[in-house]
Amino acid sequence: MKSTGKTRGKALFYWSILLPALIVMLWLTLYPMITVFLTSFQNYNYISGRRSWIGLGNYRNILTDRVFLTSFWNTIVFCFSTTFLEVFLGTVLALVFYGNFRGKSVFTILLILPMMLSTMVVSAIWKTLFHYDIGLLNTILSSLGLARVGWLIDPHLALWSIVLVDVWQWTPFAFIVMQAGLSSIPQEVFEASVVDGASYRQRLFRITLPILRDQILILCLLRTIDTFKIFAKVFALTGGGPGNATETTSLFVYREAFQYFNLGRSSAASMITLSAVVLMSVFYLRKMLNPKEA
Amino acid sequence: MATYVTTKHSPLFPIFMILILVITLFPIYWIVVTSLKTPLENILPVPTLYPHKFTLENYHKVLFGGSLHNLWNSVFVTAASTLLSLALGFLSAYALVRYRFPLKFNVVFLVWIIIVKMLPPVVLAVPLYEMFAKMKLINNLWGLVLIFQVYTLPYCIWMLYGFLKSLPLEFEEAAEIDGASRLQIVRLIVFPLVQTGVIATAIFSIIVAWDEFLFSMLFIRSPELQTLPLAIVSYIGEFETLWGQLMAISVLAIIPIIVFVRFVYREMTSAYSLGLK
Repeated sequence: MKSTGKTRGKALFYWSILLPALIVMLWLTLYPMITVFLTSFQNYNYISGRRSWIGLGNYRNILTDRVFLTSFWNTIVFCFSTTFLEVFLGTVLALVFYGNFRGKSVFTILLILPMMLSTMVVSAIWKTLFHYDIGLLNTILSSLGLARVGWLIDPHLALWSIVLVDVWQWTPFAFIVMQAGLSSIPQEVFEASVVDGASYRQRLFRITLPILRDQILILCLLRTIDTFKIFAKVFALTGGGPGNATETTSLFVYREAFQYFNLGRSSAASMITLSAVVLMSVFYLRKMLNPKEA
Repeated sequence: MATYVTTKHSPLFPIFMILILVITLFPIYWIVVTSLKTPLENILPVPTLYPHKFTLENYHKVLFGGSLHNLWNSVFVTAASTLLSLALGFLSAYALVRYRFPLKFNVVFLVWIIIVKMLPPVVLAVPLYEMFAKMKLINNLWGLVLIFQVYTLPYCIWMLYGFLKSLPLEFEEAAEIDGASRLQIVRLIVFPLVQTGVIATAIFSIIVAWDEFLFSMLFIRSPELQTLPLAIVSYIGEFETLWGQLMAISVLAIIPIIVFVRFVYREMTSAYSLGLK
Protein backbone atom coordinates (compact mmCIF):
# COMPACT_ATOMS: atom_id res chain seq x y z
CA MET A 1 0.00 0.00 0.00
CA LYS A 2 2.65 2.43 1.10
CA SER A 3 4.95 1.60 -1.81
CA THR A 4 2.27 2.20 -4.45
CA GLY A 5 1.56 5.53 -2.83
CA LYS A 6 5.24 6.28 -3.02
CA THR A 7 5.56 5.39 -6.69
CA ARG A 8 2.50 7.45 -7.46
CA GLY A 9 3.98 10.37 -5.56
CA LYS A 10 7.18 9.93 -7.51
CA ALA A 11 5.36 9.86 -10.84
CA LEU A 12 3.35 12.90 -9.86
CA PHE A 13 6.48 14.81 -8.87
CA TYR A 14 8.34 14.09 -12.09
CA TRP A 15 5.33 14.77 -14.28
CA SER A 16 4.75 18.07 -12.57
CA ILE A 17 8.32 19.31 -13.07
CA LEU A 18 8.29 18.16 -16.68
CA LEU A 19 4.93 19.71 -17.45
CA PRO A 20 5.82 23.43 -17.78
CA ALA A 21 8.50 22.76 -20.40
CA LEU A 22 6.30 20.18 -22.10
CA ILE A 23 3.42 22.62 -22.40
CA VAL A 24 5.65 25.36 -23.80
CA MET A 25 7.17 22.97 -26.34
CA LEU A 26 3.78 21.61 -27.43
CA TRP A 27 2.32 25.07 -27.66
CA LEU A 28 5.21 26.75 -29.46
CA THR A 29 6.39 23.95 -31.71
CA LEU A 30 4.08 20.95 -32.06
CA TYR A 31 0.85 22.86 -32.48
CA PRO A 32 2.30 25.27 -35.11
CA MET A 33 3.84 22.35 -36.94
CA ILE A 34 0.50 20.53 -37.18
CA THR A 35 -1.13 23.75 -38.34
CA VAL A 36 1.49 24.19 -41.05
CA PHE A 37 1.03 20.59 -42.13
CA LEU A 38 -2.74 21.03 -42.46
CA THR A 39 -2.48 24.43 -44.13
CA SER A 40 -0.14 23.01 -46.75
CA PHE A 41 -3.14 21.15 -48.22
CA GLN A 42 -5.32 24.25 -48.29
CA ASN A 43 -5.72 27.29 -50.43
CA TYR A 44 -5.55 29.93 -47.72
CA ASN A 45 -5.15 33.63 -48.25
CA TYR A 46 -4.60 35.61 -45.08
CA ILE A 47 -6.14 38.82 -46.42
CA SER A 48 -9.40 37.40 -47.70
CA GLY A 49 -9.43 34.83 -44.90
CA ARG A 50 -10.79 32.24 -47.35
CA ARG A 51 -9.61 28.68 -47.07
CA SER A 52 -10.44 25.54 -48.99
CA TRP A 53 -8.94 22.08 -49.23
CA ILE A 54 -7.03 21.53 -52.43
CA GLY A 55 -5.13 18.35 -51.70
CA LEU A 56 -1.64 18.31 -53.12
CA GLY A 57 -2.24 21.43 -55.21
CA ASN A 58 0.20 23.61 -53.27
CA TYR A 59 2.94 21.04 -53.53
CA ARG A 60 2.44 20.63 -57.27
CA ASN A 61 2.38 24.37 -57.57
CA ILE A 62 5.54 24.90 -55.54
CA LEU A 63 7.55 22.12 -57.10
CA THR A 64 7.03 23.57 -60.56
CA ASP A 65 7.66 27.14 -59.42
CA ARG A 66 10.99 28.36 -60.75
CA VAL A 67 11.51 30.74 -57.87
CA PHE A 68 11.12 27.98 -55.32
CA LEU A 69 13.37 25.62 -57.24
CA THR A 70 16.01 28.35 -57.53
CA SER A 71 15.76 29.06 -53.83
CA PHE A 72 16.06 25.37 -52.98
CA TRP A 73 19.07 24.98 -55.26
CA ASN A 74 20.69 28.09 -53.80
CA THR A 75 20.19 26.76 -50.30
CA ILE A 76 21.76 23.43 -51.23
CA VAL A 77 24.72 25.13 -52.94
CA PHE A 78 25.21 27.50 -50.03
CA CYS A 79 24.82 24.77 -47.43
CA PHE A 80 27.25 22.29 -48.95
CA SER A 81 29.89 24.72 -50.14
CA THR A 82 30.12 26.54 -46.81
CA THR A 83 30.18 23.28 -44.90
CA PHE A 84 32.89 21.86 -47.14
CA LEU A 85 35.05 24.98 -47.03
CA GLU A 86 34.68 25.49 -43.30
CA VAL A 87 35.43 21.90 -42.38
CA PHE A 88 38.33 21.70 -44.82
CA LEU A 89 39.91 24.98 -43.70
CA GLY A 90 39.23 24.24 -40.04
CA THR A 91 40.94 20.87 -40.33
CA VAL A 92 43.95 22.33 -42.13
CA LEU A 93 44.30 25.04 -39.50
CA ALA A 94 43.98 22.53 -36.68
CA LEU A 95 46.73 20.41 -38.25
CA VAL A 96 49.04 23.35 -38.80
CA PHE A 97 48.53 24.73 -35.30
CA TYR A 98 48.73 21.35 -33.56
CA GLY A 99 50.80 21.06 -30.41
CA ASN A 100 52.17 23.78 -28.18
CA PHE A 101 53.69 27.03 -29.21
CA ARG A 102 54.04 30.39 -27.54
CA GLY A 103 50.82 32.35 -27.30
CA LYS A 104 48.66 29.48 -28.48
CA SER A 105 45.66 30.11 -26.25
CA VAL A 106 45.65 33.84 -27.01
CA PHE A 107 45.93 33.05 -30.69
CA THR A 108 43.01 30.61 -30.55
CA ILE A 109 40.84 32.97 -28.55
CA LEU A 110 41.45 35.78 -31.03
CA LEU A 111 40.62 33.37 -33.82
CA ILE A 112 37.18 32.50 -32.48
CA LEU A 113 36.05 36.12 -32.14
CA PRO A 114 34.12 36.13 -35.46
CA MET A 115 31.76 33.37 -34.38
CA MET A 116 30.88 35.32 -31.24
CA LEU A 117 29.53 38.27 -33.22
CA SER A 118 25.82 38.62 -33.95
CA THR A 119 24.79 37.76 -37.49
CA MET A 120 23.63 41.31 -38.02
CA VAL A 121 26.95 42.80 -36.94
CA VAL A 122 28.73 40.47 -39.33
CA SER A 123 26.36 41.38 -42.14
CA ALA A 124 26.77 45.08 -41.44
CA ILE A 125 30.55 45.01 -41.58
CA TRP A 126 30.69 42.92 -44.75
CA LYS A 127 28.07 45.10 -46.37
CA THR A 128 30.46 48.03 -46.00
CA LEU A 129 33.50 46.00 -47.09
CA PHE A 130 31.62 44.77 -50.19
CA HIS A 131 30.38 48.22 -51.22
CA TYR A 132 30.92 48.69 -54.95
CA ASP A 133 32.18 52.28 -54.96
CA ILE A 134 33.76 52.93 -51.57
CA GLY A 135 34.11 49.47 -50.08
CA LEU A 136 37.57 48.40 -48.99
CA LEU A 137 37.74 45.23 -51.09
CA ASN A 138 37.11 47.05 -54.35
CA THR A 139 39.54 49.78 -53.37
CA ILE A 140 42.23 47.17 -52.89
CA LEU A 141 41.35 45.53 -56.21
CA SER A 142 41.44 48.79 -58.13
CA SER A 143 44.69 49.89 -56.50
CA LEU A 144 46.17 46.61 -57.73
CA GLY A 145 44.99 47.56 -61.19
CA LEU A 146 42.17 45.01 -61.24
CA ALA A 147 38.57 45.60 -62.15
CA ARG A 148 36.05 46.36 -59.44
CA VAL A 149 33.78 43.46 -58.53
CA GLY A 150 30.05 43.68 -57.86
CA TRP A 151 30.28 41.51 -54.76
CA LEU A 152 26.63 41.73 -53.84
CA ILE A 153 25.15 43.09 -57.06
CA ASP A 154 26.52 40.62 -59.59
CA PRO A 155 23.99 37.75 -59.85
CA HIS A 156 26.74 35.20 -60.53
CA LEU A 157 28.79 36.29 -57.57
CA ALA A 158 26.36 37.39 -54.86
CA LEU A 159 25.75 33.91 -53.44
CA TRP A 160 29.50 33.27 -53.27
CA SER A 161 30.04 36.53 -51.45
CA ILE A 162 27.60 35.32 -48.80
CA VAL A 163 29.46 32.00 -48.72
CA LEU A 164 32.63 33.98 -48.09
CA VAL A 165 31.04 35.79 -45.16
CA ASP A 166 29.82 32.58 -43.60
CA VAL A 167 33.21 30.92 -44.08
CA TRP A 168 34.89 33.89 -42.43
CA GLN A 169 32.54 33.69 -39.48
CA TRP A 170 32.32 29.93 -38.92
CA THR A 171 35.67 28.43 -39.93
CA PRO A 172 36.86 29.22 -36.38
CA PHE A 173 34.15 26.90 -35.06
CA ALA A 174 35.40 24.07 -37.27
CA PHE A 175 38.93 24.88 -36.17
CA ILE A 176 38.11 24.60 -32.47
CA VAL A 177 36.19 21.36 -32.90
CA MET A 178 38.98 19.77 -34.94
CA GLN A 179 41.63 21.07 -32.58
CA ALA A 180 39.82 19.60 -29.61
CA GLY A 181 39.57 16.26 -31.38
CA LEU A 182 43.15 16.29 -32.58
CA SER A 183 44.67 17.17 -29.24
CA SER A 184 42.80 14.38 -27.51
CA ILE A 185 44.56 11.73 -29.63
CA PRO A 186 47.29 10.25 -27.42
CA GLN A 187 50.84 11.14 -28.49
CA GLU A 188 51.84 7.44 -28.35
CA VAL A 189 49.82 6.74 -31.47
CA PHE A 190 51.96 9.16 -33.46
CA GLU A 191 55.19 8.10 -31.80
CA ALA A 192 54.54 4.48 -32.70
CA SER A 193 53.97 5.41 -36.32
CA VAL A 194 57.15 7.47 -36.41
CA VAL A 195 59.11 4.52 -35.05
CA ASP A 196 57.55 2.40 -37.79
CA GLY A 197 58.88 4.89 -40.31
CA ALA A 198 55.61 6.35 -41.55
CA SER A 199 55.87 9.59 -43.50
CA TYR A 200 53.82 12.66 -42.60
CA ARG A 201 51.40 12.00 -45.41
CA GLN A 202 50.95 8.36 -44.45
CA ARG A 203 50.34 9.35 -40.84
CA LEU A 204 47.80 11.93 -41.90
CA PHE A 205 45.75 9.71 -44.21
CA ARG A 206 46.18 6.35 -42.50
CA ILE A 207 46.05 7.35 -38.83
CA THR A 208 45.00 10.88 -37.96
CA LEU A 209 42.10 11.41 -40.32
CA PRO A 210 40.60 7.92 -39.79
CA ILE A 211 40.66 8.48 -36.02
CA LEU A 212 38.96 11.84 -36.52
CA ARG A 213 36.39 10.48 -38.98
CA ASP A 214 33.43 10.67 -36.63
CA GLN A 215 34.48 14.09 -35.42
CA ILE A 216 34.57 15.38 -39.00
CA LEU A 217 31.20 13.82 -39.71
CA ILE A 218 29.56 15.41 -36.68
CA LEU A 219 31.11 18.74 -37.58
CA CYS A 220 29.79 18.49 -41.15
CA LEU A 221 26.31 17.72 -39.85
CA LEU A 222 26.33 20.59 -37.36
CA ARG A 223 27.34 23.02 -40.09
CA THR A 224 24.91 21.59 -42.66
CA ILE A 225 22.00 21.88 -40.28
CA ASP A 226 22.96 25.40 -39.35
CA THR A 227 23.63 26.71 -42.86
CA PHE A 228 20.46 25.15 -44.25
CA LYS A 229 18.46 27.61 -42.13
CA ILE A 230 20.24 30.65 -43.57
CA PHE A 231 17.97 33.66 -43.37
CA ALA A 232 19.30 36.71 -41.53
CA LYS A 233 22.57 37.01 -43.45
CA VAL A 234 20.89 36.90 -46.84
CA PHE A 235 18.12 39.17 -45.66
CA ALA A 236 20.59 41.84 -44.56
CA LEU A 237 23.18 41.48 -47.30
CA THR A 238 21.14 41.09 -50.49
CA GLY A 239 17.49 40.57 -49.54
CA GLY A 240 17.50 37.59 -51.92
CA GLY A 241 18.61 39.65 -54.90
CA PRO A 242 19.80 40.58 -57.40
CA GLY A 243 16.74 39.02 -59.02
CA ASN A 244 16.45 35.68 -57.25
CA ALA A 245 20.17 35.02 -57.29
CA THR A 246 20.49 34.61 -53.54
CA GLU A 247 16.95 33.57 -52.66
CA THR A 248 16.95 30.73 -50.12
CA THR A 249 14.11 28.50 -48.97
CA SER A 250 13.73 30.32 -45.65
CA LEU A 251 13.45 33.60 -47.52
CA PHE A 252 10.94 32.07 -49.92
CA VAL A 253 8.75 30.83 -47.06
CA TYR A 254 8.97 34.25 -45.41
CA ARG A 255 8.02 36.12 -48.58
CA GLU A 256 5.12 33.86 -49.52
CA ALA A 257 3.67 34.23 -46.04
CA PHE A 258 4.40 37.79 -45.00
CA GLN A 259 4.51 39.62 -48.31
CA TYR A 260 2.14 37.69 -50.61
CA PHE A 261 -0.03 36.17 -47.83
CA ASN A 262 -0.23 32.83 -49.66
CA LEU A 263 -0.21 30.77 -46.50
CA GLY A 264 -0.95 27.53 -48.33
CA ARG A 265 2.05 27.86 -50.61
CA SER A 266 4.23 29.06 -47.76
CA SER A 267 3.22 26.04 -45.67
CA ALA A 268 3.90 23.61 -48.50
CA ALA A 269 7.36 25.14 -48.94
CA SER A 270 7.85 24.81 -45.18
CA MET A 271 6.96 21.13 -45.26
CA ILE A 272 9.37 20.47 -48.12
CA THR A 273 12.15 22.28 -46.24
CA LEU A 274 11.30 20.39 -43.09
CA SER A 275 11.48 17.01 -44.76
CA ALA A 276 14.83 17.92 -46.29
CA VAL A 277 16.17 18.81 -42.84
CA VAL A 278 14.83 15.63 -41.25
CA LEU A 279 16.24 13.54 -44.09
CA MET A 280 19.67 15.09 -43.68
CA SER A 281 19.67 14.56 -39.97
CA VAL A 282 18.54 10.97 -39.59
CA PHE A 283 22.15 9.99 -39.14
CA TYR A 284 22.76 12.85 -36.73
CA LEU A 285 19.75 11.85 -34.64
CA ARG A 286 21.00 8.29 -34.36
CA LYS A 287 24.42 9.53 -33.32
CA MET A 288 23.06 11.89 -30.69
CA LEU A 289 20.86 9.26 -29.12
CA ASN A 290 23.45 6.50 -29.20
CA PRO A 291 24.50 6.00 -25.57
CA LYS A 292 28.03 5.10 -26.68
CA GLU A 293 28.54 8.72 -27.66
CA ALA A 294 27.83 10.05 -24.19
CA MET B 1 60.07 12.79 -28.25
CA ALA B 2 58.54 12.86 -31.67
CA THR B 3 56.18 15.67 -32.32
CA TYR B 4 53.47 15.19 -34.84
CA VAL B 5 53.80 18.29 -36.94
CA THR B 6 57.08 20.02 -37.66
CA THR B 7 55.68 23.10 -39.40
CA LYS B 8 56.28 25.16 -36.26
CA HIS B 9 60.00 25.28 -36.84
CA SER B 10 59.56 26.57 -40.34
CA PRO B 11 60.05 30.31 -40.86
CA LEU B 12 56.74 30.30 -42.70
CA PHE B 13 54.90 29.38 -39.51
CA PRO B 14 54.81 32.86 -37.92
CA ILE B 15 54.01 34.44 -41.28
CA PHE B 16 51.08 32.07 -41.76
CA MET B 17 49.95 32.73 -38.22
CA ILE B 18 49.94 36.48 -38.75
CA LEU B 19 48.14 36.11 -42.07
CA ILE B 20 45.38 34.07 -40.45
CA LEU B 21 45.07 36.59 -37.62
CA VAL B 22 44.83 39.49 -40.06
CA ILE B 23 42.11 37.80 -42.13
CA THR B 24 40.18 36.96 -38.99
CA LEU B 25 40.56 40.20 -37.10
CA PHE B 26 40.66 42.82 -39.80
CA PRO B 27 36.87 43.11 -40.25
CA ILE B 28 36.52 43.50 -36.47
CA TYR B 29 39.21 46.18 -36.48
CA TRP B 30 37.31 47.82 -39.33
CA ILE B 31 34.12 47.99 -37.26
CA VAL B 32 35.89 49.88 -34.50
CA VAL B 33 37.82 52.15 -36.84
CA THR B 34 34.78 53.02 -38.93
CA SER B 35 32.81 53.91 -35.82
CA LEU B 36 35.49 56.44 -34.87
CA LYS B 37 35.65 58.25 -38.22
CA THR B 38 33.67 61.30 -39.24
CA PRO B 39 30.77 60.71 -41.68
CA LEU B 40 32.74 62.51 -44.36
CA GLU B 41 35.83 60.36 -43.92
CA ASN B 42 33.69 57.24 -44.20
CA ILE B 43 32.53 58.01 -47.72
CA LEU B 44 35.89 58.96 -49.18
CA PRO B 45 36.47 57.14 -52.48
CA VAL B 46 39.65 55.65 -51.00
CA PRO B 47 38.99 54.45 -47.41
CA THR B 48 41.52 55.49 -44.79
CA LEU B 49 43.06 52.69 -42.76
CA TYR B 50 42.74 54.55 -39.46
CA PRO B 51 40.71 57.59 -38.42
CA HIS B 52 42.57 60.71 -39.59
CA LYS B 53 40.19 62.77 -37.56
CA PHE B 54 39.24 60.86 -34.46
CA THR B 55 35.65 61.47 -33.30
CA LEU B 56 33.11 60.11 -30.83
CA GLU B 57 30.31 61.85 -32.71
CA ASN B 58 28.85 58.57 -33.98
CA TYR B 59 28.55 57.14 -30.50
CA HIS B 60 27.03 60.35 -29.27
CA LYS B 61 24.44 60.35 -32.06
CA VAL B 62 23.63 56.70 -31.66
CA LEU B 63 23.36 56.70 -27.88
CA PHE B 64 21.15 59.79 -27.74
CA GLY B 65 19.26 58.86 -30.88
CA GLY B 66 17.44 55.89 -29.40
CA SER B 67 19.97 53.07 -29.50
CA LEU B 68 20.15 53.04 -25.74
CA HIS B 69 16.55 51.81 -25.90
CA ASN B 70 17.55 49.10 -28.35
CA LEU B 71 20.37 48.02 -26.09
CA TRP B 72 18.10 47.89 -23.09
CA ASN B 73 15.43 45.93 -25.02
CA SER B 74 18.02 43.41 -26.12
CA VAL B 75 19.38 43.03 -22.61
CA PHE B 76 15.90 42.62 -21.13
CA VAL B 77 14.64 40.10 -23.69
CA THR B 78 17.86 38.10 -23.61
CA ALA B 79 18.00 37.96 -19.82
CA ALA B 80 14.33 37.16 -19.31
CA SER B 81 14.17 34.47 -21.99
CA THR B 82 17.36 32.85 -20.72
CA LEU B 83 16.09 32.78 -17.13
CA LEU B 84 12.77 31.30 -18.23
CA SER B 85 14.49 28.66 -20.37
CA LEU B 86 16.88 27.75 -17.58
CA ALA B 87 14.06 27.26 -15.09
CA LEU B 88 11.89 25.20 -17.43
CA GLY B 89 14.86 23.41 -18.92
CA PHE B 90 16.45 22.48 -15.63
CA LEU B 91 13.30 20.96 -14.16
CA SER B 92 12.32 19.06 -17.29
CA ALA B 93 15.86 17.80 -17.94
CA TYR B 94 16.05 16.54 -14.37
CA ALA B 95 12.75 14.69 -14.81
CA LEU B 96 13.97 13.16 -18.08
CA VAL B 97 17.23 12.00 -16.50
CA ARG B 98 15.79 10.55 -13.29
CA TYR B 99 12.41 9.17 -14.28
CA ARG B 100 11.37 6.72 -16.95
CA PHE B 101 8.14 8.04 -18.39
CA PRO B 102 5.76 5.53 -19.99
CA LEU B 103 5.70 4.74 -23.73
CA LYS B 104 9.36 5.67 -24.30
CA PHE B 105 8.33 9.25 -23.79
CA ASN B 106 11.86 10.28 -22.76
CA VAL B 107 13.30 9.35 -26.14
CA VAL B 108 10.37 10.84 -28.06
CA PHE B 109 10.75 14.12 -26.22
CA LEU B 110 14.51 14.32 -26.81
CA VAL B 111 14.15 13.51 -30.51
CA TRP B 112 11.52 16.20 -30.76
CA ILE B 113 13.91 18.67 -29.16
CA ILE B 114 16.64 17.89 -31.64
CA ILE B 115 14.23 18.26 -34.55
CA VAL B 116 13.15 21.66 -33.26
CA LYS B 117 16.79 22.67 -32.89
CA MET B 118 17.40 21.82 -36.53
CA LEU B 119 14.27 23.43 -37.88
CA PRO B 120 14.47 26.69 -39.83
CA PRO B 121 12.44 28.90 -37.47
CA VAL B 122 10.62 30.60 -40.34
CA VAL B 123 8.67 27.37 -40.75
CA LEU B 124 6.85 28.08 -37.48
CA ALA B 125 6.41 31.78 -38.07
CA VAL B 126 2.91 31.95 -39.55
CA PRO B 127 0.96 29.91 -36.98
CA LEU B 128 2.92 31.53 -34.16
CA TYR B 129 2.16 34.95 -35.54
CA GLU B 130 -1.56 34.23 -35.68
CA MET B 131 -1.48 32.78 -32.18
CA PHE B 132 0.42 35.71 -30.70
CA ALA B 133 -1.76 38.22 -32.51
CA LYS B 134 -4.85 36.68 -30.92
CA MET B 135 -3.22 36.90 -27.50
CA LYS B 136 -2.17 40.53 -28.04
CA LEU B 137 1.48 39.59 -27.69
CA ILE B 138 2.58 41.23 -30.92
CA ASN B 139 4.68 44.34 -30.43
CA ASN B 140 5.31 43.37 -26.85
CA LEU B 141 8.66 42.52 -25.30
CA TRP B 142 7.12 39.79 -23.15
CA GLY B 143 5.84 38.23 -26.35
CA LEU B 144 9.43 38.14 -27.59
CA VAL B 145 10.55 36.53 -24.34
CA LEU B 146 8.01 33.78 -24.94
CA ILE B 147 8.76 33.31 -28.62
CA PHE B 148 12.49 33.08 -27.93
CA GLN B 149 11.72 29.84 -26.09
CA VAL B 150 11.53 28.26 -29.53
CA TYR B 151 15.32 28.68 -29.69
CA THR B 152 16.52 28.77 -26.13
CA LEU B 153 14.38 26.08 -24.49
CA PRO B 154 15.48 23.14 -26.69
CA TYR B 155 19.03 24.38 -26.29
CA CYS B 156 18.79 24.52 -22.51
CA ILE B 157 17.01 21.19 -22.13
CA TRP B 158 19.57 19.47 -24.33
CA MET B 159 22.63 20.93 -22.59
CA LEU B 160 21.31 20.51 -19.06
CA TYR B 161 20.26 16.96 -19.88
CA GLY B 162 23.90 16.21 -20.66
CA PHE B 163 25.17 17.79 -17.45
CA LEU B 164 22.56 16.13 -15.23
CA LYS B 165 23.13 12.75 -16.82
CA SER B 166 26.78 12.74 -15.77
CA LEU B 167 25.78 13.28 -12.13
CA PRO B 168 26.19 10.26 -9.82
CA LEU B 169 23.03 9.08 -8.10
CA GLU B 170 24.57 8.54 -4.63
CA PHE B 171 24.14 12.07 -3.28
CA GLU B 172 20.45 12.08 -4.03
CA GLU B 173 19.95 8.61 -2.55
CA ALA B 174 21.77 9.60 0.63
CA ALA B 175 19.65 12.72 0.95
CA GLU B 176 16.50 10.69 0.40
CA ILE B 177 17.47 8.30 3.20
CA ASP B 178 18.08 11.30 5.43
CA GLY B 179 14.45 12.24 4.80
CA ALA B 180 14.81 15.16 2.42
CA SER B 181 11.80 15.87 0.22
CA ARG B 182 12.13 15.66 -3.56
CA LEU B 183 12.01 19.40 -3.96
CA GLN B 184 14.68 19.84 -1.29
CA ILE B 185 16.88 17.32 -3.08
CA VAL B 186 16.59 19.24 -6.35
CA ARG B 187 17.16 22.59 -4.72
CA LEU B 188 19.87 21.75 -2.17
CA ILE B 189 21.74 18.80 -3.71
CA VAL B 190 21.29 18.64 -7.48
CA PHE B 191 21.31 22.32 -8.34
CA PRO B 192 24.57 23.18 -6.54
CA LEU B 193 26.25 20.14 -8.13
CA VAL B 194 25.49 21.21 -11.70
CA GLN B 195 25.94 24.91 -11.11
CA THR B 196 28.81 25.24 -13.56
CA GLY B 197 26.72 23.39 -16.14
CA VAL B 198 23.87 25.79 -15.57
CA ILE B 199 26.18 28.75 -16.07
CA ALA B 200 27.54 27.23 -19.27
CA THR B 201 24.03 26.68 -20.54
CA ALA B 202 23.05 30.22 -19.60
CA ILE B 203 25.92 31.70 -21.58
CA PHE B 204 25.15 29.75 -24.73
CA SER B 205 21.49 30.62 -24.38
CA ILE B 206 22.42 34.31 -24.01
CA ILE B 207 24.44 34.17 -27.22
CA VAL B 208 21.54 32.56 -29.10
CA ALA B 209 18.96 35.03 -27.81
CA TRP B 210 21.20 38.04 -28.41
CA ASP B 211 21.55 37.05 -32.06
CA GLU B 212 17.84 36.45 -32.76
CA PHE B 213 16.47 38.36 -35.70
CA LEU B 214 13.56 36.72 -37.54
CA PHE B 215 10.88 36.67 -34.84
CA SER B 216 11.98 40.06 -33.52
CA MET B 217 11.45 41.47 -36.98
CA LEU B 218 8.03 39.88 -37.41
CA PHE B 219 6.71 40.54 -33.92
CA ILE B 220 7.99 44.05 -33.14
CA ARG B 221 6.47 47.08 -34.81
CA SER B 222 7.38 50.21 -32.86
CA PRO B 223 10.94 51.54 -33.16
CA GLU B 224 11.18 52.04 -29.41
CA LEU B 225 10.69 48.30 -28.83
CA GLN B 226 13.29 47.18 -31.38
CA THR B 227 16.20 45.05 -30.29
CA LEU B 228 19.76 45.73 -31.46
CA PRO B 229 19.74 43.41 -34.50
CA LEU B 230 16.63 45.20 -35.76
CA ALA B 231 18.24 48.59 -35.25
CA ILE B 232 21.26 47.42 -37.23
CA VAL B 233 19.12 46.18 -40.10
CA SER B 234 17.16 49.38 -40.30
CA TYR B 235 20.46 51.24 -40.54
CA ILE B 236 21.69 48.94 -43.30
CA GLY B 237 18.48 49.52 -45.24
CA GLU B 238 17.60 53.14 -44.74
CA PHE B 239 20.78 55.10 -44.27
CA GLU B 240 23.07 53.42 -46.67
CA THR B 241 26.17 55.37 -45.94
CA LEU B 242 25.86 56.30 -42.28
CA TRP B 243 28.52 53.72 -41.67
CA GLY B 244 29.95 55.41 -38.61
CA GLN B 245 26.67 55.15 -36.73
CA LEU B 246 26.00 51.66 -38.05
CA MET B 247 29.36 50.51 -36.73
CA ALA B 248 28.87 52.33 -33.43
CA ILE B 249 25.66 50.33 -32.87
CA SER B 250 27.54 47.20 -33.89
CA VAL B 251 30.14 47.89 -31.23
CA LEU B 252 27.31 48.19 -28.69
CA ALA B 253 26.04 44.80 -29.86
CA ILE B 254 29.47 43.19 -29.67
CA ILE B 255 30.64 44.23 -26.20
CA PRO B 256 28.14 42.36 -24.00
CA ILE B 257 28.86 39.10 -25.84
CA ILE B 258 32.58 39.29 -26.41
CA VAL B 259 33.24 39.10 -22.67
CA PHE B 260 32.31 35.40 -22.83
CA VAL B 261 34.92 34.49 -25.43
CA ARG B 262 37.40 32.76 -23.09
CA PHE B 263 34.60 30.83 -21.57
CA VAL B 264 33.20 29.68 -24.92
CA TYR B 265 36.67 28.58 -25.96
CA ARG B 266 37.12 26.44 -22.86
CA GLU B 267 33.61 25.00 -22.98
CA MET B 268 33.87 24.04 -26.65
CA THR B 269 37.30 22.53 -26.28
CA SER B 270 36.08 20.20 -23.58
CA ALA B 271 32.76 19.49 -25.29
CA TYR B 272 34.39 18.37 -28.54
CA SER B 273 37.27 16.33 -27.18
CA LEU B 274 37.22 12.76 -28.42
CA GLY B 275 37.46 11.31 -24.96
CA LEU B 276 40.53 9.26 -25.87
CA LYS B 277 42.81 10.88 -23.36
